[in-house]
Amino acid sequence: MKMKGAKQVHYESGPNMIPLVDVVMVILIFLMLAGTFGGATQFLLSKQGLHKKGSSAAKPDPNKPIDTPVEIHIDNIPDPSSPDGGGFRAQGTGIKPTASGDMLRQELEAKLAQFKAAGTSPDQLEIVLYPGRNVKYRNLIEVYQAALQAKYTKVAFATSH
Amino acid sequence: MKKHSMPEMKEGSVNVTPLIDVVMCLIIFFMLMTKLGVARGIDKDIKLPNAILGAKIENMGDTLSLNVHYMPSAEIPQVTAQVESTTKEVKLTEGRDKPLERVLIAFKKSHGDKSRIIIRGDQNLTYGQLEKVLMAISNAGINDTAYETKPADPNAVAAAP
Repeated sequence: MKMKGAKQVHYESGPNMIPLVDVVMVILIFLMLAGTFGGATQFLLSKQGLHKKGSSAAKPDPNKPIDTPVEIHIDNIPDPSSPDGGGFRAQGTGIKPTASGDMLRQELEAKLAQFKAAGTSPDQLEIVLYPGRNVKYRNLIEVYQAALQAKYTKVAFATSH
Repeated sequence: MKKHSMPEMKEGSVNVTPLIDVVMCLIIFFMLMTKLGVARGIDKDIKLPNAILGAKIENMGDTLSLNVHYMPSAEIPQVTAQVESTTKEVKLTEGRDKPLERVLIAFKKSHGDKSRIIIRGDQNLTYGQLEKVLMAISNAGINDTAYETKPADPNAVAAAP
């Protein structure tokens, strides 16, 4: 008596997905390691060149009016007890001495209001920063930022005093 | 009439199709949210100053990043930049030669009026040190500069004494 074996049933299981998972995982790990999330840093932009002693930054364009400079002198105020090593003092003509970026912003806003009342637009004004040699870069950025927050569009550095 | 019953399905491997879906979603997320870091020759050891304000630079093609390192009690800071696809130190002065100025002049020559210098200065840098870099940039005829900063929390800055 011939015994017949059970029929082998073969199911169509489709393509093997496991290598695809491997490839996709490798791509994922690559993107996680190689990519960097945007927005980690930002920039304070300036198109005003350096003001050197005895001269202004760029060659004056005869077709454009000369910008009115608003000078701000910045000194380093060392403070050994402070974790940052000290602060700064900023002052200028019509700008009260201040050690705070926020106060400086308010002073500059008041000054801008005076200029506007006199008919001068912010585009015709240029903030010129005269920092001392020992002023820290982080304090310079704070002053620079205060000028931008006060809606001045042109801010330049000058050689140190 | 002989009934044909479905043969028993053997326990197979884990169904990986939902895993593929999840991994694909993650890949698409990372592809959209990250951007592959373009080598700018930046030195991540530099502690950038904080700033609330800041702009993004979309096109980094015409920029050159200068890493200005803080050197305590040194007149001249250490500057590193990406020169010919290699990040290396570029001295401000070397005898009578001014290597940094030469690099900047060559950069200005190759990129023209679109040239922009990104300054990545350590927050403890003094202006006396930074000034030398700004002088080199000015002597090379480049006025467009950007000061790289880290975003600061406005509430934390306002609360600071």
